[in-house]
Amino acid sequence: MPATAAMPPSESAPVAPASPVRLAAWRVDAECAYAPVRDATRSARAFMEAQGLSRAETAAWELALVEAANNAVQHATGPGRRQPVRFEVLCDERGVEVRLTDHTPGFDWPDDPSLPEPESESGRGLFLIRALVDATEYLRGPGANVLVLRRMRELSEAGERGGMRDDPQELAQRLAECEAALTNMTSELASSYESLTALFRYSAELGAGGDLKDFAGRLVSDLLLVAGADHAVVRLFHPEPPRLELFLTAPPGDRFADDVLLSHEHGCTECQALATRQDIWFKPVGGDGEGGRSCGGASGSGLTGICHPFFADGKPVGTVSLVREGSDQSFTAAQISLLHTFVDFLGIQITNARLLEARTQARLVERELEIAAEIQRALLPASLPSCPPFELAASAEAARQVGGDFYDARPAGPGGLFVVIADVMGKGVPAAFFASMLRNAVRCLQPLYAHPGRLLTKLNRGLFEDLSRVDMFATVQVAYLDAVSAAVVTASAGHSPPLLCTAEGRMERVDAAGLPLGIEPGTIYEETRMPLAPGSWALLYTDGLTEARAPDGALFGEARLTAWLNRREGLRASATARRDDLLRTLAGYRKGTPAADDETFILVCHRP
Amino acid sequence: MKTHQPEPRTLRVTDLPEMTAANATDVRDAVRKVITPDCRTLQLDLSQTSFLDSSGLGALVGLHKTMRLQEGILQILHPTPAVMQLLELTRLHRLLEIVGT
Repeated sequence: MPATAAMPPSESAPVAPASPVRLAAWRVDAECAYAPVRDATRSARAFMEAQGLSRAETAAWELALVEAANNAVQHATGPGRRQPVRFEVLCDERGVEVRLTDHTPGFDWPDDPSLPEPESESGRGLFLIRALVDATEYLRGPGANVLVLRRMRELSEAGERGGMRDDPQELAQRLAECEAALTNMTSELASSYESLTALFRYSAELGAGGDLKDFAGRLVSDLLLVAGADHAVVRLFHPEPPRLELFLTAPPGDRFADDVLLSHEHGCTECQALATRQDIWFKPVGGDGEGGRSCGGASGSGLTGICHPFFADGKPVGTVSLVREGSDQSFTAAQISLLHTFVDFLGIQITNARLLEARTQARLVERELEIAAEIQRALLPASLPSCPPFELAASAEAARQVGGDFYDARPAGPGGLFVVIADVMGKGVPAAFFASMLRNAVRCLQPLYAHPGRLLTKLNRGLFEDLSRVDMFATVQVAYLDAVSAAVVTASAGHSPPLLCTAEGRMERVDAAGLPLGIEPGTIYEETRMPLAPGSWALLYTDGLTEARAPDGALFGEARLTAWLNRREGLRASATARRDDLLRTLAGYRKGTPAADDETFILVCHRP
Repeated sequence: MKTHQPEPRTLRVTDLPEMTAANATDVRDAVRKVITPDCRTLQLDLSQTSFLDSSGLGALVGLHKTMRLQEGILQILHPTPAVMQLLELTRLHRLLEIVGT
């Protein structure tokens, strides 16, 4: 266990006052137990004293290091207990930085550790560390975490340091160790710099758009370089059914993903990382004994891998796995933090791309609704026919999500009027499309206008196959109004019954059973004949009308509709005036509550 | 660690070692063993204790509570400047009675 102090050669001679910043580095691995780490903290203090730190400074450092090292020992679990606690001290004229690597599961370092209750017998460690140094940083990695402590030095005449010991051999060895420590630290710094530069470059690319996969490919290739890895595999999570799919590899087309990571032994490493939300270290299967599973000429042993899962808004996005060949050296904490930074960035990009896609999808849906609305508008007659003595007025208000309501009115022989109102179950383009088909089919059955029952029977038989194939059905109400016999003949396919009102204000509800179209192919629809004397009114409507809601959720209902129709003052008004009055009544009832379903109705008056 | 009775019902503990996570609970338990039920004042002489960490502080608080349970008090005697600083930093100088700084 080397515990050595060393300084660059410039210090072996009496110090020149204007010499540049002098760095001294020291490193020791201590067994993960209280006594060995305590020894290491004493050595660290001795090293700092040798660098000329004051007694107060070294005392503060000693205590901070003891607290930090005790935590590393106390919280180590399982195999972490067999790994050493590493102390690295970097000291120059301005300050001291200590890096303490632990092998605990890690914990969330509080922003501002506070003191416990005065009578508490524990819980002062983090507070002490924070109070004794200027800055703390806790870098968490899988299996290893690094606590970085920094403290400025007191101002003093630099240079009056503890002298060097004389043994040249010892000096050379110390020098070599010092240089190795410095090289490590420098490469870590350099890679941080590279990652920063890369991230700036990616940020600049962001505005340019481009393909997500290309972008991700470049990002992961750069990650390979800065993290010192040979293979990278990115998989994305798809929730339905839950699975991880290969997104890309670096280098591109790397067979490594199929050959090793997905092999039986390691197929679940990535799933496990995603499920536990933790990085997982793994040893990929090498060439030996695996029948040619070697990867890119690797010796077969000496493969090290890490799998890092990533998330957006707490939801899994995917995994990135890095594999290093020909080395048992695990990734350093700095390389792991690079992996995390790059992957965080990638995660943001993927999330953005997905949001963009969802937005495009939403626009498509919106466009589809517009098309459906167009179709539906085209369904409705531009103007109602004039067929005295009948007077007609109609309204169709589409709900936000367009449905398949329509109505039609056609003259039918002398003194006759044919009226149809229908509601196709379903929303959007298919429903509107089908309504259009239904309307044309009805128009083709003109010879049957005076026989509503037969018309529906034939209509159902003709459309049944098409309707049932797409799991749709339609409710239809047809009425034939005959001025000569002063009667109305109706037939219903599961539709809301028409309401009739005589000139004297007597109400009739034309109940007629009948399955909706598209349920049974052989349904026979029956007709109901009712008198319709001059001065009478008929109202045909879809259930959107009775299902209009007040702000408190209460339905408009048939009772209110009947009461409105029966209003004495309305009986002599024109059909158009009554239609507008019904629309006002509905609006007054809804008070702004949006319609959930289409609201369609036709009012017919038999003028005396 | 040595103990003697400077006066009746007072126990003074001297030559205490440094108290850290490695030994703090052992030291605390060893002192508890020598406290007699009639002891009203426990004096811990920390003049030889060069180093104390948060576990050591925990042991002091533990002994303070032990003494209070038998209606006695704990006195810290002659702490070194470093230990005194630590007691002040953690505000324990308000809880513990400190004699002869």
